[in-house]
Amino acid sequence: MLKIIVCFKWVIDEADIKVSGKSRELDLSRVAYKISDYDRNAIEEAVRLQEQLGGSVVAVTVGPPTAKQSLKDALSRGPEKAVFVSDPAFDSLEPAQTAAILAEVITKNLEYDLIICGEGSSDLYAQQVGPRLAEKLGIPCATYVEKIIIKDKELIAERKMRDGIEVVSMPLPALVTVMPTINTPRIPSLKQVLGAAKKPVVNLSAKDLEGKYEPCLKTTSLLAATMERKRIKFTDDPQDIRKVVDALLKEGVIS
Amino acid sequence: MPGVWVIAENSNYTLELLSKGLEIANELNEKLVAFSFGNEELANDYISCGADEVFVLPALNRELPFEAYVPLIVAEAKKEMPEAIIVCATQRGTELASRVAAGLNTGLATGCISVRVDKGNLVMERLVFGGAAVQTVICTTRPQMAAIPPGTYEKAQPREDRRGQIKVVAGNVETKVKVVERRKKEQEEIDLTEAKIIVSVGRGFEKQEDISLARELARLLGGEVGCTRPIAEELHWLPEERYMGISGKKVKPDLYIGLGVSGQVQHVTGIRDAKIIMAVNTDENAPIFDAADYGIVGNLYDVVPKLMTEIKAALNK
Repeated sequence: MLKIIVCFKWVIDEADIKVSGKSRELDLSRVAYKISDYDRNAIEEAVRLQEQLGGSVVAVTVGPPTAKQSLKDALSRGPEKAVFVSDPAFDSLEPAQTAAILAEVITKNLEYDLIICGEGSSDLYAQQVGPRLAEKLGIPCATYVEKIIIKDKELIAERKMRDGIEVVSMPLPALVTVMPTINTPRIPSLKQVLGAAKKPVVNLSAKDLEGKYEPCLKTTSLLAATMERKRIKFTDDPQDIRKVVDALLKEGVIS
Repeated sequence: MPGVWVIAENSNYTLELLSKGLEIANELNEKLVAFSFGNEELANDYISCGADEVFVLPALNRELPFEAYVPLIVAEAKKEMPEAIIVCATQRGTELASRVAAGLNTGLATGCISVRVDKGNLVMERLVFGGAAVQTVICTTRPQMAAIPPGTYEKAQPREDRRGQIKVVAGNVETKVKVVERRKKEQEEIDLTEAKIIVSVGRGFEKQEDISLARELARLLGGEVGCTRPIAEELHWLPEERYMGISGKKVKPDLYIGLGVSGQVQHVTGIRDAKIIMAVNTDENAPIFDAADYGIVGNLYDVVPKLMTEIKAALNK
């Protein structure tokens, strides 16, 4: 029976970020949160493998106490149990810390054959947690995976590289990070959403951890990526369209 | 002397990092070390292009992926304690850098868009929130590590008078990960990153056949057709090589024309370096208009034919 752990992150929905005036400061006052995009693919893949092969899926997340909202969402997608590692200090963890915390929690609390992570998070997109976690646990890993096949105690993964597909094999236990192309996550049904509230959640805090996970990076600034653009709007009237063509000619970009 | 290390999966990318590495090593007052994988001849090229020392690692068996070098690099770094390690952020490079950083318990900034030195620290800029913001970080642990995408720097140029040392690093390259098959992708006939004009297909197109409208406009202007991620990855209407965005192609045409493109930040990040951005969209509040120089509020099925008529008249075509 395959024991699968899927890791996910609760992140700011980047579509809600506003920029306050000319200062380039980010206005995060009205943002909603979501399960990081590719982590939804990771959860879906874990659940699909379980449906095929039997076994179990545990979802694990590390974050501030407010990330508690994510548990119901994650559990409604199919995992039967969640592990929530939270602390007020965990609101801006860097990949090195998240991976090290996950490694300690997994080693002490969970059995596994396979760990699935998203290829990168939709907020920081550092793409580090998966491979760092594998390294900390001393297990083989495959990144950028878009197909997983399990045969006995062997994992075969198709990695989607820029120049083509690389098929790799490795013994379990192993870790993979998945691409968004690996599947299309299902929308949870009402029954699943209601059922999620009854599923078990293991709550852990920083006090339950032995390691002190200090940051290695220091963020010195975080500013909106602005673009200088003219932002002139026209109607679909032929005269207006002619003005646009004239402008393009004047810019020297068409000839 | 600890040194600044540059690591890339092939020689072209190594040469790119050497040009930046030279600048960083000078500012940090460190020696510059390049890595050659199973090829001692390349070591001399790297020396003439600025490396003070080249570590030559054993060649890989064909069945091993490049990432198999992680344990050897970690072991070498523990011995030498480099001040900084710069890795070319190809996919393999990013995995390798992450695992090396984990092995060394140090910080790493991936996907850097720029790196400079200030007071002994690498000051690294990277895009976050799908490209909506720029995060600037420094690394407080050592070695400080940065992963920088290929194509960020020009290749270093050789100079006859440079001398350096070659160190052959012995050891077994071992990993539990074996490559069982490689399927090369058929090369796309065009490179979108070189196109001067790009007509971009967004979700405003109702059917795949309608892309002919974008093709006609592109042909008239001597440009290429590109698209947003959903068009390539969800609908498969165009090949993946044609989608632009933070995880796709980053383009720098003179003119980008978005047709029915809503302007999600992930897509806009891929087109930020366009000289002029023009957009056609029915929704006057679509975010693409904030990213555009010239926006036409209207239905692309109505606007594109009119646009082509005006372009033909203006260019006497």
